[in-house]
Amino acid sequence: MPELSETYACVPSTERGRGVLISGDPKSNAILYTNGRSVIIRYLHKPLEVSIYGEHAYQATLARFSPNGEWIASADVSGTVRIWGTHNDHVLKKEFRVLSGRIDDLQWSADGMRIVVSGDGKGKSFVRAFMWDSGSNVGEFDGHSKRVLSCAFKPTRPFRIVTCGEDFLVNFYEGPPFKFKQSHRHHSNFVNCIRYSPDGSKFISVSSDKKGVIYDGKTGEKIGELSSEDGHKGSIYAVSWSPDSKQVLTVSADKSAKVWEISEDGNGKVKKTLTCPGSGGVEDMLVGCLWQNDHLVTISLGGTVSMFSASDLDKGPLSFSGHMKNVNSLAVLKSNPKVILSTSYDGLIIKWIQGIGYSGRLERKENSQIKCFAAVEEEVVSSGFDNKIWRVSLQGDQCGDADCVDIGSQPKDLSLSLLSPELALVSTDSGVVILHGTNVVSTINLGFPVAASVISPDGSEAIIGGQDGKLHIYSVTGDTLKEEAVLEKHRGAITVIRYSPDVSMFASGDANREAVVWDRASREVRVKNMLYHTARINCLAWSPDNSMVATGSLDTCVIIYEIDKPASSRVTIKGAHLGGVYGLAFTDDTSVVSSGEDACVRVWKLTPQ
Amino acid sequence: MGVADHSKATYLELQRKKVHRYVIFKIDEKKKEVVVEKTGGPAESYDDFAASLPENDCRYAIYDFDFVTSENCQKSKIFFIAWSPSVSRIRAKMLYATSKDRFRRELEGIHYEIQATDPTEMDLEVLRERAN
Repeated sequence: MPELSETYACVPSTERGRGVLISGDPKSNAILYTNGRSVIIRYLHKPLEVSIYGEHAYQATLARFSPNGEWIASADVSGTVRIWGTHNDHVLKKEFRVLSGRIDDLQWSADGMRIVVSGDGKGKSFVRAFMWDSGSNVGEFDGHSKRVLSCAFKPTRPFRIVTCGEDFLVNFYEGPPFKFKQSHRHHSNFVNCIRYSPDGSKFISVSSDKKGVIYDGKTGEKIGELSSEDGHKGSIYAVSWSPDSKQVLTVSADKSAKVWEISEDGNGKVKKTLTCPGSGGVEDMLVGCLWQNDHLVTISLGGTVSMFSASDLDKGPLSFSGHMKNVNSLAVLKSNPKVILSTSYDGLIIKWIQGIGYSGRLERKENSQIKCFAAVEEEVVSSGFDNKIWRVSLQGDQCGDADCVDIGSQPKDLSLSLLSPELALVSTDSGVVILHGTNVVSTINLGFPVAASVISPDGSEAIIGGQDGKLHIYSVTGDTLKEEAVLEKHRGAITVIRYSPDVSMFASGDANREAVVWDRASREVRVKNMLYHTARINCLAWSPDNSMVATGSLDTCVIIYEIDKPASSRVTIKGAHLGGVYGLAFTDDTSVVSSGEDACVRVWKLTPQ
Repeated sequence: MGVADHSKATYLELQRKKVHRYVIFKIDEKKKEVVVEKTGGPAESYDDFAASLPENDCRYAIYDFDFVTSENCQKSKIFFIAWSPSVSRIRAKMLYATSKDRFRRELEGIHYEIQATDPTEMDLEVLRERAN
């Protein structure tokens, strides 16, 4: 059974114009965030160890640790809250349908008995507080007329709840059982986040009107403001208190984070402004923050997580990033098998190093979307959803010039001949295009709808798979293709074809969940009955020693077959990626790297049987 | 569709005297009855049985599955496998499907029935899971 050795996790999914509320557990130094339907638990001191909870049926919006660190409450866009254990395989304790719309914020009370939830109630209740184990209501929360963006529980007795929302109001409730006490309208725009200081003496609300207001924790009266001198120049999306209740960290759309000192009388003064290095574009807008122990964690719209040290504010941040969307292809460079390149359809190419993790983004001058991707030593060839093929040269870590060529119709599959990477074969709906560098050598209409294609490493043979499941083998001479054979075995459209590294065999996978290994010279079936997937096969990879083939499918499994053994003695990795496995590669004879819809890249170690 | 006496007798031998590991039945279209095509000795393995089933044609099969339960009991269950691969001809599939009931009624004492349309569906793992 293969073991998971490393996970390169995704980053929180972000939305422009809204903050991302992340939370953490100071005791175990973990932070929690969500991406798609998964909740990700990351340990700040062990970045390669990531735990993912994927049981939500809808997009998850946030997750919070309980005060004792044993339970996590996570919420999603359907208004459901799930409470599950941190350890022990994430056993579900309870699930409640709390609101009728998206949940935007959730807080545990300090004793871990009550939970307050706020969000979009679609006209009915926007805020609810309930007992964590029985779900019974502990108060009436009226006073808001629009979506409630954030809520907070006073950590010390007497308990209070404060909420703030899109109606610019900050509401104060006393209880339990909680009743409306008073309302404030000090802001002139959406109030994005509201947080109590850990000692319960004050709470602060921040808003898109660039202001922050500080209130007395017990009475709810305004006592001061964050000073506007050196203040933020853009909407403030999130705020987090330091553990000693004397400082706050705010992040804003002006791409900076500020640390403020809150004085006893309730006024705040900027102590330090932190900026993250970035290209200065929209992706650097900061949308989330957390102050945990000594770390100041900020999250940008583009998904970059930066960690500053609270005790040494002048030190540069530790940044890491990841994918936010489906990682649809992976490439491993032959020269350095520890380096993995992964791409997602939004055009992001990220470099990972085994053992270390995130190593950097490949910044390209033209950020087009990527659907098909191939990488060789000095260059990267990609195609997106338009009709262009981009060839970008790689100089060490950075991308050099990009050249593009328009081939007339959308590329469906792209393949480079490894020994002479100038030659590329691109398949389109009706035929193939042979490229030499960025010159279209020929466009050949094959007469049948083409699904997948591959060109042999020496460029002499090409195999084209059709929508009907037939594999056509052509010999390539210059700019023409001559059909040599047609192989029929598949019962569905061919999705992927790959040559083995020594070119003696090739394997093909189809949309009907079957994979077949063929012998290249005789064109006979070598391994059949590779039918163990339950959904279409998306990707396929050969091990460097030609002994194993791995297939990844939409059914979230990766199955590894050995060529010399019958297909039934296979090794399955179940649930490799929630949503489907889209990219697969072998880094050496015992490690497989897979990537999928959950925006994560995972490295698995195979134990030889 | 009739059932040949020999088929029923072979099944009883498997069930009572345990002389066979498996029996493969075929429909003889000319005589319009279910006849025994092949039997396997008790020493043969599941892989031998799987290899005896044709890739492109339907069959009925009986397999005597021995296993040890979680409480360390040696148990034996008889599986009836309706082998109907999706690559076989439609005529064959229809024939075997409509005659299956009549044939099954003759065989008393079957513990589990499996319908397999490709080799993965009658994998040893599937049998093991059904038996437990």
